[in-house]
Amino acid sequence: MHSIIQLFVRHGGLLTLVVLQVVCLYLIASYNAAQRQVATASWVKYSGDVMDWKTRLYDYLDLRDENNRLRSENARLQTLLINARMGERPAVDTFSLRREPSDSASQKIVRPEYTFIPARVVSNSIGGRNNWMIINRGSRDGVQPNSGVITADGLAGIVRYVSEDFSMVMSVLHRQTRISAAVKHQAYFGSLLWDGENPQKMVLSDIPYHLKVKPRDTIEISHYSLMFPEGHMAGIVDTAYRVDGSNFLHIDVRLSQNPAGINNVYIVNNKFSAQLDQLQQAVKDE
Amino acid sequence: MNSSNIFPNIYRFIGLVAVQVIILSQVSLAANNYCNILLYPLFILFLPIEIATPLAVFLGFLVGLTVDLFIGTYGVNASAGALSGYSRAIILHQFAPRGGYSSKEPIPTPQYFGWRWFLNVAAIFFAVHIFWYFAMAYFTPVYLVGKILPQTILGWFLTMIVVVLYTRIFHPKV
Repeated sequence: MHSIIQLFVRHGGLLTLVVLQVVCLYLIASYNAAQRQVATASWVKYSGDVMDWKTRLYDYLDLRDENNRLRSENARLQTLLINARMGERPAVDTFSLRREPSDSASQKIVRPEYTFIPARVVSNSIGGRNNWMIINRGSRDGVQPNSGVITADGLAGIVRYVSEDFSMVMSVLHRQTRISAAVKHQAYFGSLLWDGENPQKMVLSDIPYHLKVKPRDTIEISHYSLMFPEGHMAGIVDTAYRVDGSNFLHIDVRLSQNPAGINNVYIVNNKFSAQLDQLQQAVKDE
Repeated sequence: MNSSNIFPNIYRFIGLVAVQVIILSQVSLAANNYCNILLYPLFILFLPIEIATPLAVFLGFLVGLTVDLFIGTYGVNASAGALSGYSRAIILHQFAPRGGYSSKEPIPTPQYFGWRWFLNVAAIFFAVHIFWYFAMAYFTPVYLVGKILPQTILGWFLTMIVVVLYTRIFHPKV
């Protein structure tokens, strides 16, 4: 209270002036036709700017929530996209009595093959011989071991160990990583692996030497892969040459997703992995 | 303000508002509102020098509002009056004689400080007031160069003539 009185003693004239000017501005803008028009026009003009500014501020403050929302949305859309590519096939019975157009949704059986769980990388390494990363989704979120982990641009790794809230992901930069991949539009497929040298490159092996592979050809996930969605971009060919005395090409692949810059990832759940495992087990037992 | 100088100020208040409303506002109407002679701020200028600034600001607001109520420009003169109450304190502080003001000089008039001093103070005081008056009357910076500044200069010139006449005729001392 004392300081308020002090303030008034020192700046009382200015305070009185400000208060009275506000009163005057109100009077002028309310009771004078010409000035009211000016005030209204200015209000319309500048309130738009102020609102715009306010919206941008709020957008900025909501960026984190918005990012989370977009990640979930992306996961949902990726699910739709890849399922459309993979799981849609015509109905078996083409001799339908109802004679609906053949492309109508009711005549197709959609077989969703993959679901995607959005996640963020909380820890990552690229310097060692065998690299790991940790992501912030675990068994509680439905993550299962041996699921592929991708980014929008390329590959991230394979889930190996799952805790309740986190998962340990074997990076693509790991000596044990083997990912089934192919040169786009070519029938043959090979294994994508890391030779422990350049953290931005992997090697595609087992591609027969008679295939014509040029630099900048696209390398994508092959349709034999169980962990990763078919056709997902993996990288581009850097160099391809035949190793002396071998029937296969040595293809250096520049990864489309730089492993050092991984942040937002999607965990790929193959809905049929259990069935496929079961079938493979059955063969093993024989 | 004490009882010895409160009445001269009340008379000035009534007299200057009356002159402004009855005579000078008609002049400005006749000139199609292009030139305005604003004499009533002399009431603010001739308040006692030692008056507290907040009171001067409030009295400036009050005299301006009274003129507004008669003329129908609600708030325009009140805003300029309040500003003049404040600017007067700054101007008088800048033009303070060596050793400051004393009780021998109750109000800032030529009788105590000389014409040269008075014309300097009044020129700045009325320039501020008249500029702010036109700024509030047009209420937009769009007209600043085209209308507000030229009308301020014209109004200021005419007003200063009337101010000198008033001061010559009445010789206000308290």
